[in-house]
Amino acid sequence: MRAFEYVRAADVDAAVATVTDDPFASYLAGGTTQVDLMKDGVLAPERLVDITRLPLHGIEHGPDTIHVGALTTMEELAADPTVVARLPIVREALLLGASTQLRNMATIGGNLLQRTRCRYFRDPSVPACNKRSPGSGCAAVTGAARMHAILGVSDRCIALHASDVAVALVALNAVVRIQGDQGRRSVPLTEFYLESAEDPVAENMLAHGELITGIEIPLLPEGARSGYLKVRDRVSYEFALVSAGVALVIEDGVIQDARIGLGGVGSKPWRARSAEEVLIGAPPAVETYRAAAAAALAGAWTVPGTAFKVELAQRTLVRTLQNVTEVSS
Amino acid sequence: MTATQSRPLVGAALNRVDGPLKVSGQAHYPSDFDVPGQAHAALVQSTIAAGRITRIDTSAAEDAPGVLTVITHLNAPRLDRGPMTGLGASPPPPLQDDRILHHGQHIAIVVAETAEQATDAARLVTAEYQADEAVLDLDDPRAQILDNPWGLDTQRGDVAVAMASAEVVVEGTFTTPDNTNNPLGLFCTLAHWDGDRLTLHDSTQWPSMVRATMAQVFKVPEDSVRVHVPFIGGGFGNGLRAWPHVILTVLAARTLARPVKLVLTRPQMFTSVGHRPEGVQHIKVGATATGELVALEHRSLSAVAMEDDDYEPLAAGSAVAYACPNVLTRDRQARLNIPNPTSMRGPAEAQGNFALESIIDELAYAVGVDPLEIRLRNYAEINPEAELPWSSKALRECFEVGAERFGWSQRSPEPRSRRDGDWLIGYGVAGVSYPWYQAPCQARATISADGNGYVRSAAADLGTGTYTVMTQVSAESLGLPLDRVRFDLGDSDMPIAPQAGGSGLTSALGNAVQDACRQLLDSFLTLVHEDEMSPLRGCTRADVAVEDGRIHRLDAPLEGETYADILARHNLTELTADGASDPGKAADLGMALAGAFGAKFVEVRVDADLGLVRVTRIVSVIDGGRILNEKTAGSQIVGGTVGGIGQALFEDTVTDAGTGRIANATFGDYLIPVNGDVPDLDVVFVGAPDRGTPLGTKGVGEVGLVGVAAAIANAIYHATGRRIRSLPITLDTLL
Repeated sequence: MRAFEYVRAADVDAAVATVTDDPFASYLAGGTTQVDLMKDGVLAPERLVDITRLPLHGIEHGPDTIHVGALTTMEELAADPTVVARLPIVREALLLGASTQLRNMATIGGNLLQRTRCRYFRDPSVPACNKRSPGSGCAAVTGAARMHAILGVSDRCIALHASDVAVALVALNAVVRIQGDQGRRSVPLTEFYLESAEDPVAENMLAHGELITGIEIPLLPEGARSGYLKVRDRVSYEFALVSAGVALVIEDGVIQDARIGLGGVGSKPWRARSAEEVLIGAPPAVETYRAAAAAALAGAWTVPGTAFKVELAQRTLVRTLQNVTEVSS
Repeated sequence: MTATQSRPLVGAALNRVDGPLKVSGQAHYPSDFDVPGQAHAALVQSTIAAGRITRIDTSAAEDAPGVLTVITHLNAPRLDRGPMTGLGASPPPPLQDDRILHHGQHIAIVVAETAEQATDAARLVTAEYQADEAVLDLDDPRAQILDNPWGLDTQRGDVAVAMASAEVVVEGTFTTPDNTNNPLGLFCTLAHWDGDRLTLHDSTQWPSMVRATMAQVFKVPEDSVRVHVPFIGGGFGNGLRAWPHVILTVLAARTLARPVKLVLTRPQMFTSVGHRPEGVQHIKVGATATGELVALEHRSLSAVAMEDDDYEPLAAGSAVAYACPNVLTRDRQARLNIPNPTSMRGPAEAQGNFALESIIDELAYAVGVDPLEIRLRNYAEINPEAELPWSSKALRECFEVGAERFGWSQRSPEPRSRRDGDWLIGYGVAGVSYPWYQAPCQARATISADGNGYVRSAAADLGTGTYTVMTQVSAESLGLPLDRVRFDLGDSDMPIAPQAGGSGLTSALGNAVQDACRQLLDSFLTLVHEDEMSPLRGCTRADVAVEDGRIHRLDAPLEGETYADILARHNLTELTADGASDPGKAADLGMALAGAFGAKFVEVRVDADLGLVRVTRIVSVIDGGRILNEKTAGSQIVGGTVGGIGQALFEDTVTDAGTGRIANATFGDYLIPVNGDVPDLDVVFVGAPDRGTPLGTKGVGEVGLVGVAAAIANAIYHATGRRIRSLPITLDTLL
């Protein structure tokens, strides 16, 4: 790890100003990604601005939304009674992520900004990484790609966004609150992330110095069914090979609303709108689910190591839909 | 006749004597040691797998804060290769020329005042290479092939003729990947020279070997080198060699005339201290229509580094596993541009058993015989290679007891015949005949003026319980209660001991300890032989017993005296005796020395659509001869079983095509089982003390791992009807 300056931010404005004015400064929250990448020599900020004592912590409950401060930990959000009662998809996604120790350190804002686990990105001795060294190529495309993405990717970069909870949040139309030196703005999470197919470097639309201050999560309507299924090689403490987060509203035997997020497959937390279109207006049935799953994966771009994910992701989405609707095969 | 009073010290499920030290943080592992004035080292490693260094620039590193020296092949002295050891050649010494033989080869060691400064400066060393095309695949026609590298190939009968006459023939090709040992404790070396005297703290399973290696490499007498390893954070075989990073640390300390400490990083643990090499095996069995084996042919090819040795005869073990009249085994190695492999828990057997016990399972289905029954039908009552009776073998009992505990009789014969919702359920079984690696051992026993015992040997305790069981053996052999005996190890100045590895240490060391204790009792009796004051005068060991530190006459138990009394009367502060053990030869004993045997029964559930595999039950029944401590031995089997689950389902060290870089050299990317992957494990010991050694013990360090992969693969076949011949078995292969 290179030497760096550590400063503790006095307030949000000062934190934003400090980082905005210094192109070599970064924020430090839970540190579960930032510190790892600094140790590995991938990131070498000259200054870390510690925001952990800023008043961006806690959950406010509105009638139709909850507002989650960016510094709320994953474990705290998972334990929130409203999340338990109304947003099982969020709770399940959180609790299937990382480990208890990490969830007690990692903040929800940091989770959204976590960097890819791609070992070619995370090892500076690998020369070819378009995300780390633009124009250098992509070693993962011809490498060990089992944990890589198949949607929103190209031969320039197949890095995966590995967050679980972000998959649930894109499905729920969550909104990110952002503060920069020019003021505040709110951006739907579905528009917040950028695909890597064109530009592997820019992962989201934050400008340097902009800080996520919180997330608004719309509550699901009463009676909605939701769930999250994560498929991975071992039982816990492992990133998804594929995952699916679904929320459905079914009335009179017809799917009135459907939200589908897919994990383990996208360069960003993947919202499968094409699958939603297949489901909405149809009755809950396995054939419908299979058609929706096929639509969701229609645009997959694979390499030998990721080819299996096309089928696995479809089966996982079908299973998740079956689970939340209690429709058997 | 035993000289000491028999009491339930050996065999008892005692807690670890070192447990309190460990849980209170007072057990000092190599990285816990620091010496005044020590500097810290970091390694620079090659980023190509084959070629030459054309330029190496250390100037920026040398100018970095705190840096004391940077050693490369340009300024390193020429070093001799270490000696041959009981396990083969020493690794070639590092930094001897500009050649690169594998990705991750050490090309420089940077020493600085702090570990952080060394790590930072190591990143500033830049190298330019002339890269050659690396040889990375077993099937690369450029790879040099070594035939029969250990001279262990076997042939009995006429396999070709028998195979042609067989009523049923089953064959298959099995592949096993590179696995990485991954002990939790990062390997550490702390080297301190005082003139020509070297003191070393090192993560080793074999202090005596490290001492001999350093003496030879640095041209100093062996007795001027002292290696300490009171505790080691695991090893699984990594600690069986004196690796290049150890030599580099010692070299840096000598160059600087300062103590130097190096702790490997986790990624460096994948390239610096060995791994289980990948292998491909072709195995073919011929049988009668009722499943009696008539021919068995097993051929293997495994990977080895360009200029190093590794012991992996994958097929050799198949020659003694079953009573089959016609057997051929052939083992070969291919030289690749890979980091040096080494033994990893159950070397060769873990891979070879997967192929053998899978093909036997295939044969069972082919002839319609229960997989358990076919193993009993071909049971090797004697060692079929040596044609001698086993010194002990209770494998039949392993199968029978295991079947009962597991409920094997509930198995439905047809594959894919049991289902619970989305889950397919299957049962699998595998047998294990495990060899052990026998070596001579020495120990020393002392009784001090207070009558307490102190016994030691230069062995290492991997965490398996060596301190504990040797305390038990010492206490029983000396006739002292446990709390009056201390057993010590982990110091090469103690009497020479073999490696903690190969399932051989407990037997070698236990017999040496027992011998030293008996010699010590003899010394006491010699001391009082003419002693008019002693009630024991004229006695030999056969005439006495020892209880609670008091030696008494067997014919007159009231006639006796304590160790302390004898020492006091003779004005001695202590009395010491040495002991030794040497494994017997089969020809002399008229028996084939047996290692442990085991039967593994596994239940799996496989998600029919998603391919998820969950191991839900494992029963392991082990014949380990005389078990010195049911608790620590049981823990060995539990730990080995977890390793077997890892081998079966998760562990896969992936090498990048072309570059030879290991693609998953972190604990985030290289999967090992987590608690959720491990069901409650049932472990039972059966059998009797082995007849081949005085103590009757057999090693149980590896038999726990071997067989688990085959039993899981066989259970997956039973659950799904899918025969998977390649490890690890991941869900994508079952979709």
